[in-house]
Amino acid sequence: MLESEYQEQNRFFLNMGPQHPSTHGVLLIVLEMEGEYVLDPQPVLGFIHRMHEKMGESRPCQGFMPNTARMDYVCALPYNHGYVSLIERKAGIEVPKRAEYIRVITSELNRVASHLLWLGAYLLDLGAFTPILYGFDDREHILDILESITGSRLTYCYYRFGGVYQDIDDTFIEATRAFIKRLRKRYVIYEKLVTKNIIFIKRAENIGIVSPDMALRYGMTGPNLRGSGIAYDVRKNEPYSVYPEFDFEIPVGEQGDCLDRYMVRVREIEQSLRIIEQALDRLPDGPVRAKVPKNIKLTPGDCNFAVEAARGELSYYLVGDGTSTPYRLKIRVPSYSNLSCLPELARGILLPDLVSILGSFDLVIPEIDR
Amino acid sequence: MAKQNKDYNKDFLHQGFDAAETDYDQRGYHLDVVLDVNQVRKFAQTAYDLGFYIVFVAGLHVRPDEGHDKECSGLEVVYQFARYDQLYRIKGRVSVPNTLEIPSISDIYQGADWHERETRDFYGVVFDGHPNMKPLLLSEEDPDFHPLLKEEKKLKSLDEVSWQPEAPEVAKGETEAETGQ
Repeated sequence: MLESEYQEQNRFFLNMGPQHPSTHGVLLIVLEMEGEYVLDPQPVLGFIHRMHEKMGESRPCQGFMPNTARMDYVCALPYNHGYVSLIERKAGIEVPKRAEYIRVITSELNRVASHLLWLGAYLLDLGAFTPILYGFDDREHILDILESITGSRLTYCYYRFGGVYQDIDDTFIEATRAFIKRLRKRYVIYEKLVTKNIIFIKRAENIGIVSPDMALRYGMTGPNLRGSGIAYDVRKNEPYSVYPEFDFEIPVGEQGDCLDRYMVRVREIEQSLRIIEQALDRLPDGPVRAKVPKNIKLTPGDCNFAVEAARGELSYYLVGDGTSTPYRLKIRVPSYSNLSCLPELARGILLPDLVSILGSFDLVIPEIDR
Repeated sequence: MAKQNKDYNKDFLHQGFDAAETDYDQRGYHLDVVLDVNQVRKFAQTAYDLGFYIVFVAGLHVRPDEGHDKECSGLEVVYQFARYDQLYRIKGRVSVPNTLEIPSISDIYQGADWHERETRDFYGVVFDGHPNMKPLLLSEEDPDFHPLLKEEKKLKSLDEVSWQPEAPEVAKGETEAETGQ
């Protein structure tokens, strides 16, 4: 038998998803396989595409606020944050300092919740069931805290143009401080259970190495980029809100494999806790919402605003036409660019390694499909 | 803290691009580049050589200019690039000709692949040289449905949605009221 015939016979297509547990949502990846090796993985998107951009263009800008939380439901507050900041930049609205502090505190709490959920889910992909129970337990505390002031558990609509919906109270501050104390005690559990686990290390080390040049060509951002050793974080690089007032570090990895991406996120949890602590210590008094006109006029011209969501750079790009309805609203989501490198990254690897790479990318499919 | 910005204005002007610096505080990007169709690939290559990463590729639908340029389809494609090492964002904008074809940059920035397919889905712009110009987010059964194309009566001309040189002060003189909840 000719070698080419042999290859023909052993090649086949495998549909991973859209109901596969490790794609975390309705993502389909069509895999061209040879034995257990992946030759060409092609993601198929759009299963829960809702055309948020069209919705953004067809109603006054206030009406789009609830939509922002329904793209990335795991870490929704930075999506709120980006949108209100965009409109505030466009309309020239000043935000009271206390409101900006509350925004930072709640956004960072949301980021920690997102990383905790990711940690559990990634380990679940790799076959370890226990970590997600611990991760959910800790995350539940954050959701309770956020529910007490925002009124919702996942799809928040808490920020308003010119401030936030309502002020935080002493109960919130005490609960947040208690949570920080609790989570720091739990680090040791995570470290013993996961970070030093030899099975986990074998599944993550030297797998899915993203080089800096590849990151640049695909526009990767967030922890997936920082794992490759590039210290790019919108909170530092393009400071917005009151982030410049806080002292925090940008954890980076070395070679950009799955383990580096894991370590970056774990270390980011501590940095977010540091930001929250500093913000609680220095929380200024004053109003939490500025007076803004009922009809916000978006002046003609375009405007961009980027924030650091849990998965990377989220950019809103708005074109105004003088009315209160955006003429065009483009939403650049991080996971979209992060996932687009998969066909190049995962060519020629083993199928179990593909599951590890997908898990380490921290994908949220409603965010990709929008 | 934001690092000291190197200015990339000259790099683009030297390559013959129509680049203008903009007010970052107002617009959120530093350099506005107006491109000709045959400059698109050179623009992407210049950005790549200077070490920019791709942020997005998007479309915009405006009323075609009836006065002097009948070749114009009314569609615009917007490119945004930024840097990892410092704060600098550039925006490139190109008018799509009546053939609805513009060159693809997906061989320079592979990340543009999906963004270009998405722009084809939403606006019907065809990217010449793209290896896989199939629907991405929308259904493959109806490839001619482009949801972001605006109705005739909602279209505005490019001037109406561009920054005006003497933009009137808004939001100051108006009656102030609480946002209704």
